[in-house]
Amino acid sequence: MSYSVQLPSYLEQGPAVSKRFRELQERPVKLRAESLSKTFETAKGKVRALRELSFDVHRREFITVIGPSGCGKTTLIRILAGLDFPTSGKVLLEGKKVHGPSADQGMVFQDYTLFPWLTVKKNVMFGMEVKGVGRLKAEAEAREWLEMVGLSKFAEVYPSQLSGGMKQRVAIARSLANRPEILLLDEPFGALDAQTRSSMQAYLLKIWRNVDVTIFFVTHDLDEAVYLSDRILVLRANPGEIDELIEVPVPRPRSPQQFLSPEFLATKKRLEELIHPPGHNQNETMPMIRLTEVGDEVE
Amino acid sequence: MLILALLMFMEKKKSPNPWFGIRSDLSPRRQTFLTLASFCLPLLLWISVSYLPFIWHPDVKLQISADRVGVTTVFIAGDRVSKEYFPTFAQAVRSENMETRKARKLDQAKSGSKRDNLKKLRHMAPLAIANGWLESDERQDDEKIFEIWKGLAEGTLISSAVVLSEENLAVVQDNWQTLSAASSKYDPKRFPTEALLKLIPQGIPSNPVYLPAPHEVLGAGWRDFTTEPENNMPTMWKRYRHSLSVVFWGFAYSCLLGIPLAILCGSFDFFSKLHEPFVDFFRYMPAPTFSVLFVAFLGTADAPKIMLVFVGTFFQLVLVVANTTRMLEKSLLEAAQTLGANRRQLLGRVIIPGVLPKLYNDLRILLGWAWTWLVIAELIGEKTGLTGFIDTQGTRYNFDRVFPIIILIGLTGFFTDRLLLALRNPLFPWTEEARNSPKGVLAKIFQWFGDPSTYLGQPKS
Repeated sequence: MSYSVQLPSYLEQGPAVSKRFRELQERPVKLRAESLSKTFETAKGKVRALRELSFDVHRREFITVIGPSGCGKTTLIRILAGLDFPTSGKVLLEGKKVHGPSADQGMVFQDYTLFPWLTVKKNVMFGMEVKGVGRLKAEAEAREWLEMVGLSKFAEVYPSQLSGGMKQRVAIARSLANRPEILLLDEPFGALDAQTRSSMQAYLLKIWRNVDVTIFFVTHDLDEAVYLSDRILVLRANPGEIDELIEVPVPRPRSPQQFLSPEFLATKKRLEELIHPPGHNQNETMPMIRLTEVGDEVE
Repeated sequence: MLILALLMFMEKKKSPNPWFGIRSDLSPRRQTFLTLASFCLPLLLWISVSYLPFIWHPDVKLQISADRVGVTTVFIAGDRVSKEYFPTFAQAVRSENMETRKARKLDQAKSGSKRDNLKKLRHMAPLAIANGWLESDERQDDEKIFEIWKGLAEGTLISSAVVLSEENLAVVQDNWQTLSAASSKYDPKRFPTEALLKLIPQGIPSNPVYLPAPHEVLGAGWRDFTTEPENNMPTMWKRYRHSLSVVFWGFAYSCLLGIPLAILCGSFDFFSKLHEPFVDFFRYMPAPTFSVLFVAFLGTADAPKIMLVFVGTFFQLVLVVANTTRMLEKSLLEAAQTLGANRRQLLGRVIIPGVLPKLYNDLRILLGWAWTWLVIAELIGEKTGLTGFIDTQGTRYNFDRVFPIIILIGLTGFFTDRLLLALRNPLFPWTEEARNSPKGVLAKIFQWFGDPSTYLGQPKS
C-alpha cells in the first residue's frame, strides 16, 4: 500500500506523547516476561512457537501484540494467563512468578465463554462468589459493573439472548469485577462486525480510563492496535520473536477522528512494513483463471 | 412409505409452502396433523387388517365344528384352521353324512351308539351359547340341547349369532325327524340309536390367533384391569406398580452411582483411564447372562431383578455421561480458572451445571434401556409384574390379553419421556432449545422457584 502524502516517521513523538512515555517508564512494572520460549511437540517434530521473548508492562499501560498468523500471539497470552507453561523463561506478575491461572490474570476470550446457565448478573458475580465475597456485596458490585458496560437492563437475562458485542461486554465486566492485576484480551473483537467492533473499542478505552487496570491485548487488526495501544509488540513468525516494540505516537485521549492523522498513518505504515514485508505478497503466487470475457475490465 | 415418497416427487418444485422442504420446518398446524397421523396410520392399518375380511385373513375361525372318524385331532368351535385346510375338513364331515344318507336309502340304516348320537347333538352347544340359549357350563345338558334342536327344526328358534348354512339347516331338519320319530321330548330311554347326521363345520375368515382385533384387545384389557384375578394372583394394577418399582429402583441406583463416577471420569483423566476401560469391557457382557448369579446371591425376590436393570444401564450410563462431560467446552473451564475457581469449584460451579441439560437427555434415552432390561428381569427367579403376566398368557395363546400389556408398557415409556421432555425447558431455561420454545405456565413457575430473590427478597444496594 502506498500513501500519497508525505508522512512523518512513526518515531517522531509530540511533546505530550513523549512526556507520557517517560511517565509510563517510571511507573512500577506490573508484568515482566523473562526470555519466554515455547516449543510444541507435534507428530512432525518440534515446533518452536516462541523464542526468547522479554518485555515489561507497566501499571495502567495498554500494550497490544500483533503479528502474522501463526506467530504465537495466542500461545503468548495463554502463557501470561497461566493456562500454558513456557518451555523456558518465566512470567512475573507484581514480581511473583506465575504458576497457573488465577484471578489476578483476568482473561477475555474471543468466543466470549460466558457461562450459559448463569444470568448476566450471575456471570459477573462468578469471580467474586468463587472468592467468597458475600452475596449481597457481590450482587451490588455486579450491578455497578454492568452499569459501566451499559448492560444494567440485561442483568437477569441469559447470555444466549445477547448479541456478540453484548456478550463480550459482559465477559469484560466479569473479568474486571475480579479486580485483576492485568486484563488479558485474546482477539476479543475478532468475531464482531465492523460497527460493533469500533463501538467496543470505544467502550474498552472508556473502561480503561476509569478503572485501574493494565491491559494486554492481542489482535490482528492494525487499526485497532494503533487506536488502542500505548505500545505495540510486533511478533515475527517461525519462531515467534519480538520484531519491534513500537511506541505509538498518537496523543491521548484517542478518538476515531485520529484514524487519518499523520502519526496514526505513519504507525500503521510501519506495522504494515513489518507484518507484510515487500516482496512477500502471497497474491503473486496464486494461480489466476479468467472466467470473464476479455474487454469488460472492472479496473 | 413408497406412496409418500412418490408424493414427494410429485410436489411442485416452486410450491409456496412445500410439505417436503429439506430441513425446513412445517407450520404448527401441519406438524400437529402429521403427529396425529403417525399414530393413526398404524392404528388404521391394524383396524383394516382386522375388520376388512378381504385383507389377509389366512385362517378360518370355526363357529361349528365336528369330530371326524379316524382323526384324533379335534377342533372345537373357536379354533382356527388354515383357509387351505378348511374345505378338506368340511368335505370329510360332509362325506360321512353322505354315507349315512346312502345307507338309509338302501334301507341299511347305520346304527350308532346312543353316546355317539348325543355327541353329535352337543356340537350345537357353542352356537347355543353364542345365542345365549345355553350357559357356558351347560354344554353337556342334553335335555336343553335337545330342546334347542327342536326349536331350530320347528323354526321357533332362529340363530342370529351364527347364521346356519342351508346344508346345516337340512341336517337339523333331518336329525329332528329321526329324533321326533322316537320321542318328541328328551327321554334317555327312548333315544334313537340310528346314526344321526353331523353338523357340517362352519367358520368365518379370520386372522391368526396372534393378531387379535382391536375390540378384542380392548375388551380383554378392560377385563384384566377391572376384575379381580383368581388364585390370589396380583391384580393388574399391582403388577404395574411392581414393574414400575423395579424399573425405578434399578435405574435410580444406576444413576446414583453412575452419574458421579461418570462426571469424575469425564473431568479427570485419572478416573477415566482407571475406570472406563473396564466399564467398556463389562458392558459387552450381556446383563441377562448374569441373571443366574444374581438369583444365586440375591434370592428370588425383587433384588436380582433390580440388580439386572442396574447392571444393564449402569455401564452404558457411565460411558455416555462421561462422554457428555468431556464435551463441555474446555474454554469455559479455562475462563473459570482465570476467574479464580479452584478444582472443587470447577466441578461444582462449571462442570456439573454445564453438563446437566445434556445429562438429562442422556438419562431420558437410558431410561428406555431400563424398560428393556425390565422385561428380562421380570422373567428371572419368580416371574412377576407385567412381563410375568405376558409370559403366562402367551404360553396359553391368549394374545388378546398380551397386547394390552405391551401397549401399556409402550404408553408408559412414551408418556414418561414426553413428561421429561416437557420438564426440560423449565428446568434449563438457559439452553438454546428452551429459548426458542414458547414459555408455558410450567416454565414460569420453575423460574419463580429457581430465582433466589423469591425467598431472599431484593438485595439492598
